[in-house]
Amino acid sequence: MGWTRFFRRTARERERADEMRAHLDLYTDEFVGQGHTPDEARRLARLRFGNPRAKLEDVDDRNRLPVFDTLGRDLRYAVRVLFRAPAFTATTVVTLALVIGACTAVFSLANAILFTPPPYPEPDRLAFLQAEFQSARGAGTQLGHDAVTWEAVRDGVPSLDAAVYSGSVNGVNLIVGEQAAFVRQQRVGAGYFRVLGVPPVQGREFSPDEDVPGGPALAVVSHETWVRDLGAVPDIVGRTLLLRGDTYQVVGVMPEWFSRESKVDVWTPLRASRRGEGGGTNFQVIARLRPGASWDQANNELRSLGIEPLLARGFEPGDGTTAWLGTVPLHEVLAARSRAPIAILGAAVSAVLLIACVNIAALILARGSSRAKEIATRMALGSGRGAVVRQLMAESVVLGLVGGVAGVAVAQAGLSALQQLAATTYGNWADAGIDGRVLAVTAGLSVLTSLLFGLVPAFQASRLDVQGTLSGGTSRSVAGSARRWPRRLLVVSEVALGVALLVMSGLLVRTVVNVVGLDPGFDPDRLVTASVSLQDARYQASEDVHRLFDESLRVLNADPAIESAAVSLQLPYTRLLNWGFKFPDEPDRQNTIVNVVYVSGGFLETLGIPVRQGRSIASGDRTGAPPVAVVNETFERVFRRDGTPMLGRRLVLGGYAEAREIVGIAGDVQQTDSGFAFEGRQPAPLMTTPTLFLPAAQLDASFFNAVHTWFRPTWTVRARPGAQAGPAITRAIASVDPLLPVSEQTTIDTVMRAATAEENLLMTLVSVLAAAALLLAALGIHGLIAQSVAERRREFGIRIALGSTPGQAVGRAAMSGVMLAAVGSGLGALLSLWAVGFVQSFLWGVDAHDPLTIVGVGLVFVLVAAGASVLPALRILRLDPVHALRQ
Amino acid sequence: MLAGTLDMLILRTLRAGPAHGLEIAQAIERRSDAVLLVEQGSLYPALHRIEERGWVAAYWGTSGNNRRARFYRLTPKGRRQLAAETGRWDTLVEAVTRVMRPDPGESEVS
Repeated sequence: MGWTRFFRRTARERERADEMRAHLDLYTDEFVGQGHTPDEARRLARLRFGNPRAKLEDVDDRNRLPVFDTLGRDLRYAVRVLFRAPAFTATTVVTLALVIGACTAVFSLANAILFTPPPYPEPDRLAFLQAEFQSARGAGTQLGHDAVTWEAVRDGVPSLDAAVYSGSVNGVNLIVGEQAAFVRQQRVGAGYFRVLGVPPVQGREFSPDEDVPGGPALAVVSHETWVRDLGAVPDIVGRTLLLRGDTYQVVGVMPEWFSRESKVDVWTPLRASRRGEGGGTNFQVIARLRPGASWDQANNELRSLGIEPLLARGFEPGDGTTAWLGTVPLHEVLAARSRAPIAILGAAVSAVLLIACVNIAALILARGSSRAKEIATRMALGSGRGAVVRQLMAESVVLGLVGGVAGVAVAQAGLSALQQLAATTYGNWADAGIDGRVLAVTAGLSVLTSLLFGLVPAFQASRLDVQGTLSGGTSRSVAGSARRWPRRLLVVSEVALGVALLVMSGLLVRTVVNVVGLDPGFDPDRLVTASVSLQDARYQASEDVHRLFDESLRVLNADPAIESAAVSLQLPYTRLLNWGFKFPDEPDRQNTIVNVVYVSGGFLETLGIPVRQGRSIASGDRTGAPPVAVVNETFERVFRRDGTPMLGRRLVLGGYAEAREIVGIAGDVQQTDSGFAFEGRQPAPLMTTPTLFLPAAQLDASFFNAVHTWFRPTWTVRARPGAQAGPAITRAIASVDPLLPVSEQTTIDTVMRAATAEENLLMTLVSVLAAAALLLAALGIHGLIAQSVAERRREFGIRIALGSTPGQAVGRAAMSGVMLAAVGSGLGALLSLWAVGFVQSFLWGVDAHDPLTIVGVGLVFVLVAAGASVLPALRILRLDPVHALRQ
Repeated sequence: MLAGTLDMLILRTLRAGPAHGLEIAQAIERRSDAVLLVEQGSLYPALHRIEERGWVAAYWGTSGNNRRARFYRLTPKGRRQLAAETGRWDTLVEAVTRVMRPDPGESEVS
């Protein structure tokens, strides 16, 4: 015989079945011979023979390795059992799928964004240069540098191979032959690609002698641009293309994969110098550690450059500020913005995972105890303890597998929904995919939970007093509650987690409500806007810019559908230009940074920004007329000097000698933070900053050329009530200059929403998760009470028979749910004091330990718990005491 | 039927020559004057058990009325086993009989 018999089962089985069939045939023949009809004969033969199937299994059992064979049978049986309890099965599988899916989506994202280094060679040797400062007001870091710093680093740090570039990527017009395309352009210094470790696949990058002011117009293009816009011609290097109205010679093409990292189509030389943008901290510097050098060495060299006093002055003139240069790993910076939101999501989704595991555990526990009778029956009929435990485990495994498979689908859907929601806010999330390892961990965790808690009732069951259970122990006596304690603990912990999560979500909701409730400072009704890049060779002269503004506005204002139109540099709810100024009557004071907005005449009127004092900027404020400026209320408050009225005061713009007169004070408008310090500044998603409005018609070419490399002028029109402006801005600009690409026209509401998109996104995501937590907790309490009511039917029957009113009985049954929720809410409130640390940096206008939110959330949970407890308890009302007692 | 006796009965039946399952069952019933009724289905687990122990060997053959059937015949090992079991059985029966026989002087009380 030997071991092979375990595998020769089918042949043997077939032979034995044959043998029994032959036996039956013979026997049937015999009965036929005795004069029975064939049918009758067969029936008699079967009757005497017994159940052939059972006999076969009897024979078989000793020929099997129990693990191999019973596993398949257990699984088959488990599927049958689960189909017979559709509510339990569906709840568990859906919970498992949702939670595995959500966790996999979020942690795949975290893995891709936070823990996967950028795909450059030796990414741990790449770093950004960063200025770090420490002052009486606090410490901070800054990635932007001016040309003085860059030159010092380039020439004085032998351990680092450094390159300078501009962080801003602009949409510009690329003209090839007859076709115009809108491409993303970035300006980078010589050696940028060498430092990254990604040389062009065709041609070369810019050399240091080309990357100088007045150097040749060269371009490196992305693989995508080469294929899409340049027809993938093989000899592209050396050819020319028309970019921003200028001719550029292509010197290189980047590898295909690089497009995914850079999101840039065309690179042109930065031509860094101390003049223009190099005068401010508008450059970024990326560096690679040279072979053999260490980061300590590099940082020491950076400290000994001797530019610290210069850096310190740049941050805060005069008051004992210290500053120095340091390095920060490339990956840390790239992931920095996503770190907090992903941490919040991760924490929230982990909480939901825990709650879901608790619920699944509770469901399985409940099912285990309600099946006590079934299990006892099976054991009484001779089923071994091992077999019962194995069977319960098999059910858990089947649930886990089905839930896991559904979870993969949920994860895919969840991740793409996340990416879509975050497309405008966190564009880099788009590249993340589902991570197999993450899936394995989350699925494993959930399945482990179901296995673990599948075991508890399995062992409880195997210790069951068969006799007692079968004779009706649980339904006859007043319910013994010892077996409900694990479930109570589970319910308390899930309420606590849910409360913490809901507090986080509540604080974020209040932040968004606060932000949305801010007075915008203008009238957003019926306003649409569009912008144009003027970083273009044809708009180097101020007259050309003035002409474009004047003529397009003339066309727009003549449109009967349009109430009024204006041009400005940037808009409310966006980041404004930072520019220095000083008062000539305070000669000892340095240039102070404020926000500067150039506007066309009638801008304040078009947006409905009120003029508090003096006058607005009018169309008469042009070259030749006296230079003027309008300030806003915050400016007036910050720079107020007793005895000197703001109106009529004169100021000088940084880089200019002539003074401007302040002719008006306008109302405050909400802007996003542009990162400079001023008196009374509160960190917030939106704030009112000291702002100067200047007439665009009084500005010169050097100002336009400087600011147009960073910002685009924006056209804003207010349609007449009931009128459709249509693509009016695009048409008006095209009528003046058909070659200028105009961005898509959007409403001002879109702009306003974009300003708070981050807070909104977080609020939405955390609220969804908190709602899931609340629902799961309610389900958990509902299940607990429903089970206890079912188990205590007889007890309640006795109570009612002895004179308790049904109301009292319902209250008694429901009370424990409410009590558990109250305990859980209390613990949750304590937990939330710690958990809000995750969202603290996103809160605004609400204290992180806001008692109103915490108490409110606790009450919501207790109310929901009350509802979830009373509903199943109402079944007592339908209880017939006589019937219940007889059972 | 007394536990363990079925094996012995089967072996004893086969001493007369090869037989298939139905014949074995009927032979036992006949020889016991229908006192021992073998549930025919239960015969097979016992047959297969003693086949695995090597006491009987099985082969497919043709029955008296031209039906295919699986025949069992006694192996030498089975023959030795039968002798051993018969000895044990006789001892047992003798012992039981001694116990069951009324003691001298004991009177039947109803």
